[in-house]
Amino acid sequence: MTRTVEDLRSVDHACAIPVSDEQLWEMTATFVAAGLAAGEQVVYFDDGTSGGLLERLADDCVPVTASLDDGSLTIVPPDTTRATLRSPPPHVQDMICGTIDNAVEQGYAGVRLTGQLSYALRRAGGVSLLQYDAALDEVVRARPARILCLYDRRRFPDGAIEELRARHHTELVVPAIYDDNLLRITSTGPGTARLAGEVDHSNRPRIRRLLETALDQALRSHAGPTDITLDLSSLRFVDVAGAVSLVHAAEEFPSSHRLVLTGVRPRVLRVLDRCGAPFAAQLVVQPRTEQDSGETR
Amino acid sequence: MRIETTRSAVAFRLEHAAGYHRSDADLLAQLVPLALAAIERGEPVAVALRPGTERALHEELGRPAGLIPLSRPDGPNSASGQTVAAHRALELRELTSTTGGPVTLLTEHITTLDGADGSFWTEFDAAVNVALAELPVRMTCFYPELPLHLEILDGSRRNHPLLLVGGQMLHNPEHLYPRDVLAMRPAPAPALLGPPDLRMTFSAWQLHEVRRAVEAAVLEADYGPARAEDLVLAVNEVATNAVEHGAPEAELAIWTGNGSELVCEVHDHGVLADPLPGLQAPHPSDPRGRGVWIARQLCDSLHVWADRRGTHVRMHATP
Repeated sequence: MTRTVEDLRSVDHACAIPVSDEQLWEMTATFVAAGLAAGEQVVYFDDGTSGGLLERLADDCVPVTASLDDGSLTIVPPDTTRATLRSPPPHVQDMICGTIDNAVEQGYAGVRLTGQLSYALRRAGGVSLLQYDAALDEVVRARPARILCLYDRRRFPDGAIEELRARHHTELVVPAIYDDNLLRITSTGPGTARLAGEVDHSNRPRIRRLLETALDQALRSHAGPTDITLDLSSLRFVDVAGAVSLVHAAEEFPSSHRLVLTGVRPRVLRVLDRCGAPFAAQLVVQPRTEQDSGETR
Repeated sequence: MRIETTRSAVAFRLEHAAGYHRSDADLLAQLVPLALAAIERGEPVAVALRPGTERALHEELGRPAGLIPLSRPDGPNSASGQTVAAHRALELRELTSTTGGPVTLLTEHITTLDGADGSFWTEFDAAVNVALAELPVRMTCFYPELPLHLEILDGSRRNHPLLLVGGQMLHNPEHLYPRDVLAMRPAPAPALLGPPDLRMTFSAWQLHEVRRAVEAAVLEADYGPARAEDLVLAVNEVATNAVEHGAPEAELAIWTGNGSELVCEVHDHGVLADPLPGLQAPHPSDPRGRGVWIARQLCDSLHVWADRRGTHVRMHATP
C-alpha cells in the first residue's frame, strides 16, 4: 500500500524509496516538519548528510534553529548512528524504547524517527536490515512513535529494495512532474509548482514545457489562477539561458496572466537580474527573506 | 558588479580612426586640435595615453580642460586584446550613460603591450570595433609611423574605418570587418601554463560536475560567497557553450596553484562561429549569446582563441 507523507498520521512504520537527492530531502523534511507541527519529538539519525535536510527545512520555512535549541528536533551524530547500526537488535530496541518513554515524560505527543540507513549496507557480515526492521516494528506497535525508513534507490541493490519493501505494509510516495536527479519539479496546487535542485543546459527545456502546460491549464479553466507560481526556494542554481527562458516565458504570457517566482535565493536572483527580469512587466520576483528561511522565528 | 542588460539606444555609433605620428611633438600637435574640437562641441574627452603624453596635452590645453583618464591595462590580463577592449567598453558605457552624449577618446600605442609580434594591437582594435560598436564614441588611435613590428601598421590599417591625415578624417579603403581581420591574423594563444591542478572531460549532461569542480577550486581561495558563485556561473556558461555548439565532449582545466588566482580553460573541438564572442550586449529578445557576455564581465579576463584543434577559452579571476 502506498500513501503520501501527509497521510502518515495514521501509520506508525513506513518506508520510502527515494530515487534522487531532492526527493530524499523533500520526503525527510515533510516527515520532520509534520512531526514538529504535531508537537512530537523528531529524532534524525545522521549519516553525514544532515546539511541537505537542514537546508530543505529552512527552504520550507520550518523553524529549524528553535527546534534544535529546544530539543524537539534531535540530530544523532554520524558516529552514534553507525554505532547503533552495529549493535544487536535487542539493544537498539531498548534504546528506542528509552527515547520514546523519555519524550512522553517530557510532554511530547509522540516520537518520530528517521534517517538514512545505507551505512548498514556497507558493513559485511552484520545483522541484516530486515532484523532491525522487525525489532523496530515491535517497538512502535505499542508506543506513540512513527518510523520512516529511507532506502536510497541508488545505493541499495534491487534485491534488497524488494525485500525491504515487502516487509513494510506502507510505502510513502511523492509524485513528481519531473526528476532527473539534478532537478525535481513537483506540483503544489493549481498553477503552482516547486523547483528543487539545479537548472542547466541538460534540463532547461523542461522549465519551458512546465510553464506552457501550466499556462494552458490556467487559460482553459474559467476559475483558473491568473498567476502561474514557481516556488524557487530550493533552486540552488540556474544558468543564464535558464533565467532568460523564464523572463521570455513571462513576456509571452497573455496580459491577463503573470509569472510569479517566490522564495528566490540571492544566487538565482543575481542571474535573473542580469537577464532582464526587472524589465519584464509580467514577471514578479519575490526574493527569499530571512523570515522565510525560518531562522528568525 | 554592474552588468549591462540592454544596448544603448543612442543613434550615434563608434567612429574609429587611426592617426600616425613621426615624433612626440608631432603626436601632440595632432592631439591638441582633436581635444579642442571636442571641448568646443561640449564633449567630454577621455584619454588612454602614456603618462608623458597625457601631461604634455594637459599643459597645452591649460587648467580648465578636464581630461578623463581611462584605466591603464596591466598585469597578466593586459596580454589579451579582447579583454582590454571589453574593459574599455565597460568604462565607456558607464561614461557615455552618465554624460548622455558622445565622448571623444584619444589613445596611443603603448610598446609594453606589443607582446611577441605586435598582434595584440590587431586583436585589440578588431575587438574594439565589436565591443564599442553601439557606443557614441569618437575614438582616435595614434600609432608611430615606424613601429618595431610591421604587424602593428598592417593591423591598424585593416581595423580603422577612418584615417586622420593632415587633420582631416578620411575614409580608409583598406578597412576590413573584424571577422576578416581575425581570419588573417587570429587572436593569439595566451602564454602556456604548467600542468593544471585538475583536468576533466565533460558532456552536456555533466555540467554539474564542472560546477562542482570550480566550486571546490574557489573554496580553497579567499573569494566571498557571491564572487565564488559568480565565477561558477561564468565557467558554467563557457562550458555550456563548448558542449552546445562544439563537440559532444569538451575539456576543463583548472589552475589554483598561483596564490588565490584562479585560472580555468575550456577546450572543445568545435569551430568558432564568432571569433570574438560575448563582446557585445545581446539584444534582450535574443536567447543566445548572453552567457559569454555575462562571463566576460564576471572574470578579470576571458580570452578566446582558435587553432586547428578547436576553440579554446582561458578565464582568469582574482578575489
